[in-house]
Amino acid sequence: MIERSYDVVIVGSGAGGGTVAQALAPACREGLRVAVLEWGPKLREDEYTGREAEMAERLYFDSGGVLTRDGTMTLAFGRAYGGSTVVYTGTSLPLPAEVLGRWGVSGLAHDDLLARSKKYMTENNVHLLEGDRINDNNRLFARACRRLGYRVEQFPINVKGCKGSGLCNLGCPNAAKQGTNRVQLPAAEASGVEVITNCKVERIGSRECVATVANPPWGEPSRSEPGEYLVRARAIVVAAGAVNSPALLLRSRLPANLPALGRYVTTHPALILVGEHDRPISNFHGHPKSYYCDHFVASGRFLLETCMYFPFTTAKNLIGFGPEHAELMSRLDRMQMILVLAIDPALPDNRVTVSPTGEPVVNYRFTDGVLDALVESQRAAARIFFAAGCRRVHAPAGLSFFIGAEDVGRLDERITREAFKLGKVSISSAHLMGGCRMGADAGTSVTDAWGQVHGFPWLFVADGSLFPACAEINPYVTIMALADRVAERVRARLPELPR
Amino acid sequence: MSPLSKRQWRFFLAVAARVAPPCERLDPAGQARFNAIVGKALAARPRSLQRQFRLFLTLLRWGPALRFGASFDRLEPVRQDAVLRWLLDAPILKLRSGFWGVRALAFMGLYGQPEVWPALRYAPSFNGNRFLHD
Repeated sequence: MIERSYDVVIVGSGAGGGTVAQALAPACREGLRVAVLEWGPKLREDEYTGREAEMAERLYFDSGGVLTRDGTMTLAFGRAYGGSTVVYTGTSLPLPAEVLGRWGVSGLAHDDLLARSKKYMTENNVHLLEGDRINDNNRLFARACRRLGYRVEQFPINVKGCKGSGLCNLGCPNAAKQGTNRVQLPAAEASGVEVITNCKVERIGSRECVATVANPPWGEPSRSEPGEYLVRARAIVVAAGAVNSPALLLRSRLPANLPALGRYVTTHPALILVGEHDRPISNFHGHPKSYYCDHFVASGRFLLETCMYFPFTTAKNLIGFGPEHAELMSRLDRMQMILVLAIDPALPDNRVTVSPTGEPVVNYRFTDGVLDALVESQRAAARIFFAAGCRRVHAPAGLSFFIGAEDVGRLDERITREAFKLGKVSISSAHLMGGCRMGADAGTSVTDAWGQVHGFPWLFVADGSLFPACAEINPYVTIMALADRVAERVRARLPELPR
Repeated sequence: MSPLSKRQWRFFLAVAARVAPPCERLDPAGQARFNAIVGKALAARPRSLQRQFRLFLTLLRWGPALRFGASFDRLEPVRQDAVLRWLLDAPILKLRSGFWGVRALAFMGLYGQPEVWPALRYAPSFNGNRFLHD
């Protein structure tokens, strides 16, 4: 086993790990040794091909289709230099004050979180896309929401030189999206942080971790030779995401009682809905996600966003099969799409566990409230589609494959809870949260408000797993803001930690 | 080693043709791409999931014999579709999930091929902004 030694080791390089790396980087000039161990590869620029199956395999765990234990939901999370920031759409919203209030984490103030969020929004070039860069799919959504009296807002996004490939979820082929792979990690490396890609951390011991480096057939080779490593560090920051962070800590069998570890996972479960126009619209060209409608967050516990997905993802998310499915698929250029996201409660039994071989297993049960929200959200989305001029709509809880415009007044009868069956409907999640939640009480949380694991002064968490409950918005800016706090605490704590 | 035997492959392809009719119109190269995409996806899944998939295919093949007196592949297409529609809405979660997996793999094998995109009128461009508001 090859041995290495650092002051700080960061596991993961996404919104959390990348942020911590950059925040610690200035100290590298004064001799601090920092390494980021990233499971995924760093792709070469010409490897961003925009081909769905190929990119999903290169950039996601299980090609973006990690199944929950009972098979009722797929989970999409990235595995790459930059983590999931390589494959999101770049939508950038700070956490609303009322959500933070509901989180109720003592010592985590909204002013502090907002200031840190704004810092990264500036650094990553977050802004509103110019009007002439917004495609019909997005325009029609916003116009229809306004016509119906639904509150609709434009998403700030973190792009620079966006050419509108529409391929954000497959990794931007134009290097326009300002994820940690484009901003924080290069800056950190320039200051002396080592980023070791293709490096899977197997387990954590007392101020050390065991890792394996193995290069996949794509991407740049890791800067470290393939093999097994024992990596020692004065402080370890786990930022491997809401599935892999709790799984890593669980299989490490830390000598402490952390009953909340792996628990209180929320997923922002999502459905893709499709409306069909009687003419082609611009949908797969241009940035895919420009607007969101939070009109129903308080009353219905769901959020509506624009989206545009790729052929396989679209096909999988339509209910049914056979000629009518194929017919709808053959007119992808006429599709308008809406993503609905339910705001799910943080429950102790919704949890990450590990299999006997150490693999993560996500146990997730849909509550009646979440199922009701997913059904009601389809009715709201259908109203938006028809107000936008669609001639028919496909809804997963529809009583028939298509709902025609003549049924707009009968959507409660045409979209029903009875037709919405788990296992039949493609429910997915890309906003995984919780599992190492923050809090003051070691009985119901894993870390304190600064990301330090209860009882371990050298061990920290810095990713979406810190969220004590659903963020109710796209989470990445909040992850960066929290990671910035974690980095501050690591810096403060280091002098006390033995060399 | 392939996660499916030759017989299981043939059966899966027959089901895929009902699920995604354009599968039947694939030329030999398209068929080979279909097989490669599905084979790779299956091989990458945990062994337990591969076992479940094989078990579900067996159930799908022989289950209809109880109702119609013939295996799935010997049924008329209209009856095959009736079986699949029943599975889509089956009263047991495991059956619905199993069929969901079959559907997902069939769609992946077909729509995961960039060569079929023109038939969907899907033509992405790295410079998509050029095509806005034509």
